[in-house]
Amino acid sequence: MPKKVLLLSLIAVLVTVNGFAGGQKETSQGPVTIQIAYPVAVDAPVTEILDGYARDFMASHPGVTIEPVYAGGYTDIKTSIQTAIDGGGQAPALAVMLATDLFDLVNARYVEPLSDYVDEMKDGKAYLNDFLPVFLDNSYYQGKLWSLPFQRSAVVMYYNADLLEKEGIAPPDSWDTLASAAEALTLKDGDAVKRWGIEWPSGWPYWVFQPLAIGAGQNIVGESDTEVYFDNPSVIDAVKYYNSLSATYHAMPAGVQSSWGNVVPNFVSGNTAMIVHSSGSLSKILSQADFTVGVCGVPGKEKGTFASVPGGGNIYMVSGLSDAQKKVAFEFAVFMTDPARAAQFSIQTGYIATRKSAYDQDVMKEYIKEHPQALETRKALDNAGKELSLQNLNQVRTIFHTYIQAAFNGDMTAEAAMAQAQKEADEALKDFR
Amino acid sequence: MSDIHAVSSGSKKQPRVSARVLRWIAAALGLCLALLWSMPLIWSLIASLRPASEPFARGQIWFGSALSLGNYLRAFSLAPFALYFRNTLILVVMVLAVQLVTSSLAAFAFSFYRFRGERILFTLILTQMMIPTVALLVPNFQTIRVLGLYDHIAAMAVPFWGSAFGVFLLRQSFLGIPRDYGDAALVDGCSWYRILWHIYLPMATPAVIAFSISSINWHWNSLLWPLIITRSDASRPLTVGLARFTQLGEIGAQWGLMSAATLIVALPLVVLFLIFQKRFMEGYMSSGLK
Amino acid sequence: MIRKSHPLLPYLLILPTLVFVLIFTVYPSISSIVGSLYQHRLNIPKYRDPQFFGLGNYRDLFESQQFRLIMSNTVRYVVVLVPAMVVASLFLALWLRKKRFARLRVAIFHPTILPMVSAATIWLFFFTPDYGLFNSFLRLFGYSGPENWIGNPDMALWAMVIVAFWKDTGFYMIFYLAGVQNLPKDVYEALEIEGAGPVITFFRFTLPLLRRTTLFVTTVAVIGAFRTVDHVFVMTQGGPSERSSLLLYHLWQVRFESLNVGQASAITVILILVLLMFTIANFIFSEGRSKDV
Repeated sequence: MPKKVLLLSLIAVLVTVNGFAGGQKETSQGPVTIQIAYPVAVDAPVTEILDGYARDFMASHPGVTIEPVYAGGYTDIKTSIQTAIDGGGQAPALAVMLATDLFDLVNARYVEPLSDYVDEMKDGKAYLNDFLPVFLDNSYYQGKLWSLPFQRSAVVMYYNADLLEKEGIAPPDSWDTLASAAEALTLKDGDAVKRWGIEWPSGWPYWVFQPLAIGAGQNIVGESDTEVYFDNPSVIDAVKYYNSLSATYHAMPAGVQSSWGNVVPNFVSGNTAMIVHSSGSLSKILSQADFTVGVCGVPGKEKGTFASVPGGGNIYMVSGLSDAQKKVAFEFAVFMTDPARAAQFSIQTGYIATRKSAYDQDVMKEYIKEHPQALETRKALDNAGKELSLQNLNQVRTIFHTYIQAAFNGDMTAEAAMAQAQKEADEALKDFR
Repeated sequence: MSDIHAVSSGSKKQPRVSARVLRWIAAALGLCLALLWSMPLIWSLIASLRPASEPFARGQIWFGSALSLGNYLRAFSLAPFALYFRNTLILVVMVLAVQLVTSSLAAFAFSFYRFRGERILFTLILTQMMIPTVALLVPNFQTIRVLGLYDHIAAMAVPFWGSAFGVFLLRQSFLGIPRDYGDAALVDGCSWYRILWHIYLPMATPAVIAFSISSINWHWNSLLWPLIITRSDASRPLTVGLARFTQLGEIGAQWGLMSAATLIVALPLVVLFLIFQKRFMEGYMSSGLK
Repeated sequence: MIRKSHPLLPYLLILPTLVFVLIFTVYPSISSIVGSLYQHRLNIPKYRDPQFFGLGNYRDLFESQQFRLIMSNTVRYVVVLVPAMVVASLFLALWLRKKRFARLRVAIFHPTILPMVSAATIWLFFFTPDYGLFNSFLRLFGYSGPENWIGNPDMALWAMVIVAFWKDTGFYMIFYLAGVQNLPKDVYEALEIEGAGPVITFFRFTLPLLRRTTLFVTTVAVIGAFRTVDHVFVMTQGGPSERSSLLLYHLWQVRFESLNVGQASAITVILILVLLMFTIANFIFSEGRSKDV
């Protein structure tokens, strides 16, 4: 049947030509679908915001589909991406994961470097330089850039400014004044506490503790990716100071407090005078408190010093994507971090805007005029140290948590606990040195 | 747990106390116990109806100023519960249907026939009862990868398709059936599957029901394995969907929202249970587990 | 009469079950043993490909204070929880066996059908420091002890026990109810006429007659206690200071958080051994007890 043969060869030729034509084009115009997995870690309409980003991006990029997937907490996302890749499944293209997870993610080849894409940008250097530098601290490894700051926060202290004024107490600016203020603000009725002077939750124990160590003069983590200073005298000092707030001043609930979620309601309802928490809770606190809210860094040991530590999630590109997906994924990541969006995101959520230029946006200026606290959270970062980020992070972090909680609970002395933590952490890091 | 001790001592009172008083005390204790036991469910129902704008705090842990369905709406907006329901249903049916077939076949063989290696094979299968599949999640995760089933609903079900528990329960029940029944049928020229289908299974209905309920209950509730082996909403079951809400707890004590999500997951089964509780309990109680 | 059939038929009938048991129980048990002899860590470039490590993983585990603590947590958890549930479910079954207690039985049983994730989520609030329902309730009785249940190192594990107890006791009660229904009534009538007290009746007759139920319930309860760690996930994540971490939860952490595949295999092997030990001990214990009677 020559006719059929002819037809078949014709089709074959057409397909081949088409294929070549497609290959020659710089960008493939075929439909591309990417997913972005994100956590919800503060009480903010993050879902709605990301859905909006996806809609806007798709409107200007025909053929592209963006599917934002709310995937639980930070841990959930990291685990699910690992299992998806290990299990031979389809992982999302982009994921918002903790900035500190960098080393494990790279070592296990779960993520892609972004350096090449930034280099290809028209003004890649300027783009990176516009991020607050402290937020890029945990983005570089092996000379490459691996993540872009997105929902970033800092540890700050919130205080009930009206209450402090009524009691004639100045906002604390040192360990001593913090302790005496907390003691004075604690309200007791017999044995029962009506109001705590301060609550310092221990969800994310290392994170809320770091400002204390930095304020004492020594961060728990060093510059390199295998250095920890758990048994440094200043760090031990910080543990003792934390314990003294409950043991000596009776101004804080004693021991480990599994109350990360409870202290914000306690604070806004007036049951607690001061709390240490994430700056990401700012919007919620401002909207619910019926008093003037003061925000500052965590007071340091010396008078007039403050300390903080950044936290939160960066955007990572997950490995195993097609070239077309990678391109779209990076474009969308840049789109999400655009200054105008960064400003709007900060206003809606309470996260700190990641871009310097975001603070020049009119909406942001307007918002800061109304809520000067939003600027305070950013200022807290001026005195921030590096967040605990290391090789073998999970194991080292677990070790630190185990022993600092033992010290908080009085199972061990601060010295013994931190010495043991240092010993075990060194052991856990020896394979990386 | 002090109530339990109270209960046991209450029921062992010496006969000097008149029977009526004893009965009255038992009833009162029972009421307390029931109330205590149901408190978590009652509280979460109330908490879920509290307006989201009114945080829980000291002295404010029950009703808010009004009843609100806001928490339920928010929960539905955060997670595709309908999809999770579908997945859980498929999972449960997929597990049970296969388990019933495989278990009744094996149980029939172990109770009806004599054959070489019977004991060894039975023991081998029984090891599965002692080593729960979940404990083997690390190697099984690799197996699922090799089978290419990651993130499929089937991945959650396949490891449970052979059930030692099912074989054991059904065999126990089959052994209680008089041998004459099967023998007579054989003489009449019945094939083995007709004996199984028309004689053995009908006579073992309580055991089948008890096993089915156990299986449904276990897989409806399982978390760890589905958490590991699925990633997308298209395959994740209710429990995993719910687990993400517990992460929300870190944000700021969203007890109302968490309660609502919890109840969305739990209520269908609770309602079903309340409707069918009589048969449900009887199925369990007469399952021949002596 | 000897049942004639095709000689292969019984094997064919067993085959489906056997295949799944082989693939998902026997093979993984063996592969865990093999895998536990290798250093295989995904987050360390030089151990990305497994390297033979001998018994190194086991040595590391038993030298680790953390792991010894988790083993002791697990044993204490099982040894307290299982007998508590068995005893409570037996007493509840004996007490609530009458028809008029049907509603009460439902109240005790209903937690069984809640997913553990749900149960744990609700209980999280109960254990909340300060205004949690549990503290509020205990205060009625003048309690003023440690308040932060799941943050307190001496309480966290027991909080896990309480949740599991609340959730599962009703489940085991049902098995005892079934057993109690099958007790011979005439024996009890005879005992009553003889004037035997309830304590004697219980220990001399009820308990021995329920021996097989007890064996069954204990076995299921032991395995259940090992395999359900959802409440640890939701409530404490093993904290504080790993005081509420259980073996299976730790296994998950080591494999999927610390990415240490080799050590996870070693933990799997230990978990299997501990489970077998408990199950076999349970069998021997109840067999021995039955001879005493």
